[in-house]
Amino acid sequence: MTDQSAPLPRDEFFDDAEPLTLGQRISSKAVAPWLFLSPMLAFGVIFFILPILFAAYISLTKWNSLTSPRFIGLKNYEYLLTVDPKFWDTFWNTIYFAAGTLTIGIPLALVLAYAFTRAYGQAFWRSIYWLPMITNVVAVAYIWKFLLDDSFGLVNMALGKLGLPGPGWLTDPNFAMLSVILVFVWMQLGHNMLLFSAGLANIDESYYEAARLDGAGETQLFLRITVPLLKPTILFVLITNFITGLSYFTLMLVLTEGGPVGSTNVTALYMYKMAFEDLRMGRASAVAYILFAFILVVTLIQLRIFRRGGVEAH
Amino acid sequence: MAIVQSRSRSAIAWQITKYSLLSIGAIIMVVPFIDMFLGALRTPAERLARPPVYWPQDPQWINFKRVFTETPALIWFKNSIFITLSVTFIQLLTSSMAGYALAKYKFRGSNLLFRGVLGAQMFPFFLFIIPIFFILRYFPLAGGNSLFGQGGSGFLNTYVAIILPFAITWYGIFLMRQFFMGVPDELLDAARLDGAGEFKIFFIIVLPLVLPGLATLGIFVFVYQWNEVIWTMTVTRTAPDLQTLPVGIYLLRGAFTEEATQSLQQAAVAVSIIPVMVAFLLLQRFYVRGLTAGSVKG
Amino acid sequence: MTTTSHRRTALVAALLASSALAAPAQAADKTITIATHYNQEQMAPLLACFDQYEAENPGTEIVFQQASYRDFLQTIMTARVGGTSPDIYNIYSIWAPQLADAGTLAEPPADIAEFVNANYGEGTVGAATINGTLYGIPTELSVYQLFYNKKILAEAGYDAPPATWDELAEIAAKVTKKNDQGNITVAGYTYGPSVANAVHVFYSQMFAAGVAPYSDDFRKTNFLDPEAIRIVERQGKLFADGSTSNSVTTDDFAANGAAMAIMANWQKSSMMDAFGDEFENTVGIAPIPHDGGDPGTMLYSFFWAVDSASKHPEESWALLEWLNSQRDGGLSCTGQMLNDLGALTGNLGDLEAMETDDSFTKPFVDAIESGAAKSQPNIWQASENDRILRSYIEKVWAGQMSAEDALSAADAEVTAILAEQDY
Repeated sequence: MTDQSAPLPRDEFFDDAEPLTLGQRISSKAVAPWLFLSPMLAFGVIFFILPILFAAYISLTKWNSLTSPRFIGLKNYEYLLTVDPKFWDTFWNTIYFAAGTLTIGIPLALVLAYAFTRAYGQAFWRSIYWLPMITNVVAVAYIWKFLLDDSFGLVNMALGKLGLPGPGWLTDPNFAMLSVILVFVWMQLGHNMLLFSAGLANIDESYYEAARLDGAGETQLFLRITVPLLKPTILFVLITNFITGLSYFTLMLVLTEGGPVGSTNVTALYMYKMAFEDLRMGRASAVAYILFAFILVVTLIQLRIFRRGGVEAH
Repeated sequence: MAIVQSRSRSAIAWQITKYSLLSIGAIIMVVPFIDMFLGALRTPAERLARPPVYWPQDPQWINFKRVFTETPALIWFKNSIFITLSVTFIQLLTSSMAGYALAKYKFRGSNLLFRGVLGAQMFPFFLFIIPIFFILRYFPLAGGNSLFGQGGSGFLNTYVAIILPFAITWYGIFLMRQFFMGVPDELLDAARLDGAGEFKIFFIIVLPLVLPGLATLGIFVFVYQWNEVIWTMTVTRTAPDLQTLPVGIYLLRGAFTEEATQSLQQAAVAVSIIPVMVAFLLLQRFYVRGLTAGSVKG
Repeated sequence: MTTTSHRRTALVAALLASSALAAPAQAADKTITIATHYNQEQMAPLLACFDQYEAENPGTEIVFQQASYRDFLQTIMTARVGGTSPDIYNIYSIWAPQLADAGTLAEPPADIAEFVNANYGEGTVGAATINGTLYGIPTELSVYQLFYNKKILAEAGYDAPPATWDELAEIAAKVTKKNDQGNITVAGYTYGPSVANAVHVFYSQMFAAGVAPYSDDFRKTNFLDPEAIRIVERQGKLFADGSTSNSVTTDDFAANGAAMAIMANWQKSSMMDAFGDEFENTVGIAPIPHDGGDPGTMLYSFFWAVDSASKHPEESWALLEWLNSQRDGGLSCTGQMLNDLGALTGNLGDLEAMETDDSFTKPFVDAIESGAAKSQPNIWQASENDRILRSYIEKVWAGQMSAEDALSAADAEVTAILAEQDY
């Protein structure tokens, strides 16, 4: 409000005789919103709409990006879905990863968030539990590579002290995906705890008091009050985590490069390597579209469940 | 009396369970960082021993200095700072502008646009990697390209390629809209009556009111962008002088495969974590809001 | 120990400098960018030559770009796709068919072709030739042999390296050490995580068994040859016996963590660093174990190539010729670098001038000179095929597939890709 030099009398706005200057026109109520929106619209066209269409076109071609693309219709899709022996493996790996992170990560986050919201020293606990969440994935991967070393890693050394066997966490194909899941859960725990504790804060304390008067123990309180009342949050966390899990591949790229024996090769990683190592841009775009279609279906089902489960559309 | 006793006993049991759970979890959260830290202090001889020495006998604090003098970490560090701050600033600007327009103006198609912003969030990042790479590559008149995008290298190997694709964030627009919704319309109308233009209203009057929103989105973007790997790696593979800390550490992994050099790698990893940790500890309360805003109705 | 850490120090310090150098060059009349997978320390002799060349040819500036070996093909491909290619690069011969097909490689002028034909061994010239067209000047030559740790073998009572794979398996089982958890601390034999760690070893064993991995026209594989199946079967058995595992790698050899491995001669300098004075007493080299017949193994090579999009092709070739010509009857610039690395070269004059009589190097040179070492076939889409092959060999190691099933599946996939080059 410092600029008082040339206040525009409101009446002049509607004075037909005097045409508006360019400056006035731009800052008018009709034009301004479009100017405010212009960066979004411009970048939205260049980096959102155009890429989606472009990727769809590439997926119908055979293109190594060095010579011109050759239109081949739906052949890439046909190859991936019916011939390619790897595609479906990576797809099931993707499902395994996404489902695994839910099964292990969500109950853990829920129980810890429950304990956290009822504990002293919240700032202390919070700082600790959020540490992995803000750590970059390259650091996470290298931290865990050393921890999970078969013979000399801290994890197996500790297990050895307890007289337990030390599996090949990252080298045994039966364990590698589990390890990736565990590391991912470790990374995401703080994030999910945060969402849960926000939900927990919304539960009225009077519910608990009433139940306590009835003689309910803490376990019963948790199972009979917390879990049912937190259902919308749980649903939200479950489903967003699932969708994130389906499209995630950075940790696999850095930690295991998809190995051993392709056991951690998820579909999005498969796409990335196909594009930038083998220069099969067409087929890789088709992979991206198939995975996207699947995620879209899951998302739409999610929206359904949200509406029924009382979660605001997101 | 008996009831009360058993109650208090179960209450004590709950207290014990609660803190043991949190403590065990906390140990699992923190020990990996300590392990990395100890690793950064080991000598090559300690690493080459079989079994390797776990507690560094002669802590190599100098490794944290060597990271900056003997690896390109300083360049990476500067790039990380520059790119992260640029993206944060640009996203705050574009998100608040668009969020404001969607929250405070009624115009033809405003509802449709808002639905578009919500819907756009459903598109996963991986779908865009290939096409955006080529859009930047063949961008007309950029980096020696002709009007038809031929001849040069477009925006590749420039900061533009790293930053521009992150110029807008659908979630950020949505988030800022929520914050602007909380600003009363009467305030805007009063300003209009005073003769203030729409831009002045936005930048001088409204924006300061949503500072908490800007802080929330800001810390969110900062943490995300500092940790971004895939895109930055894809466009800086042939431009080592543009790489960020995580990307540089990853792409230089070949130089760290020998036991002797791994302490340096772990020191670099530690360095890559610290700035974001500081930013986060300062602004963590805003982070909570960013995650929970608009997601759940209790 | 101090020497080791000093060398490493210089190595990483070099990377800093290399990335600084990779910054867009200042305006010089002609800037020639050279990309290699060697780091700054390894490149030192060449960098000195670059300075000399710049001094002798005012207006020419030479910029060095390093990319790690693992990402090198991806880096030059991305550079090519992005229109930011270097002028000259040192490429692995098996990448050539793809690069040549995409029109990435410039054909050398006639005088350079003559220079190459006159000064280089037939095998290496072949490695730089695609469909009858020569695409560059051969450089580093790498040969696979069996490395064994003399001390570990002697401790277990073996004075000589294994000659057959059965002997190898027996020794490996005997020298393997495990901790209480059953995890290997000293492996009898080791593979590694890279594609080459599996595929090059497999090819080397194939050549040792007297069977080429691919048909002569590179349209079919010989993966289903009984020898091939037996080779992979026996590899799987090493894993089943517990004599090796995925958790040990070829890097462990230098830490006394593995007794045997099939590796290439370029490991020499890092082994010398690691073992110091004990190098000669520790590292032994022997032919690839096989069941009778002549010894055989695989060699692979790199060559200097010029990008077809280079703005200074003539200057680039001239620079390359200068870098690869012997100076005063001694080593060429490239030869000097390779010599310091402990690597071998296809340049006959350089090979002559190199010291190759030590116990480590001699077996490798012998394999080249006797013709026992066969050039790795430059097949179509080689890096992709090799990755596929590794993924199936891994399945046998893990006990998930029989050698026959795995190789049949690999054969099917690879043959389909090889067929792509014809349309």
